Amino acid sequence: MRLNFLRESFGDMGDVTGFDSQRWIDEHGDALYRFALVRVRDANAAEDLVQETFLAALQGARRESGETAERRWMIGIIKHKIIDHFRRMAREPLREGHQADLPVVDEDFLADGHWKPEFAAIHGWPDKPDELLERKQFWDTLAVCFDKLPPRTAQVFTLREMDELDTGEICRLLCVTQTNLGVMLHRARKQLRNCLSARYFGQAEEDASL
Amino acid sequence: MSWLAHLFPTCQEISRLLSDAMDHRLPWHVRTRVRIHLRMCEACTDYHHQLTLLRSLLRRNPARQSEQESVLEPGLSAKAKERIRRALDSSRS
Repeated sequence: MRLNFLRESFGDMGDVTGFDSQRWIDEHGDALYRFALVRVRDANAAEDLVQETFLAALQGARRESGETAERRWMIGIIKHKIIDHFRRMAREPLREGHQADLPVVDEDFLADGHWKPEFAAIHGWPDKPDELLERKQFWDTLAVCFDKLPPRTAQVFTLREMDELDTGEICRLLCVTQTNLGVMLHRARKQLRNCLSARYFGQAEEDASL
Repeated sequence: MSWLAHLFPTCQEISRLLSDAMDHRLPWHVRTRVRIHLRMCEACTDYHHQLTLLRSLLRRNPARQSEQESVLEPGLSAKAKERIRRALDSSRS
């Protein structure tokens, strides 16, 4: 009881001496923004998510001290905000020109189930990831390829590969069935591989258009 | 015929199984079929390698963890910072 009282008055004192919104923005703004941007791939949405996160943090009952703990706390908040954003997007009707998330046919294969020749012998990928990690052009290309994925497919792939959520968790959060999730992840991987092969690892003719 | 098709899945089926295997453990008999196929099929072996590489790239993506300052992505614009600051301050008053 007494402890509660102390904590409350201490909290209030903090308010009186002035909560410094500028400090939050300076210390965490860029990091939160990048965290959101790499996931939602939309600058406006990422900015809104940062703002929502700070507003939610303001309401937060407990404010942890220390920059690292504070950052961890805010990352925890923005993760939830990102999933809310994905859910909101799922309710919007598909924009024209967007592919449906569940493909009807698999266009990489011949009728007998063999790879089409143009997808069969794709070389040029390195053995190890190391040399690519710091190459800006690679990540830019990946971003371009990513934006070609159908929206829900991109979301589930992000949660699976960037946030390493397991499939059960993703199904629960975004209300998709295991079967559809499997189809979408499979498609995301295949499309990204094809797109990177064409645009970055120097296969196919698509290169010429760049 | 059907048992043969079952025993020797096509590349199309294998590509799906390779993806599934990245998300959960496949039953042993399916794993065996995949392994046998990979022994014989260069295209699927390359595909498998590319998927694995893609995963390790994404998991080591410098921009993934906010703790790492990244030069790859820009931060918030000055305009966005100002807008957010105003929103925060007005919610306080």
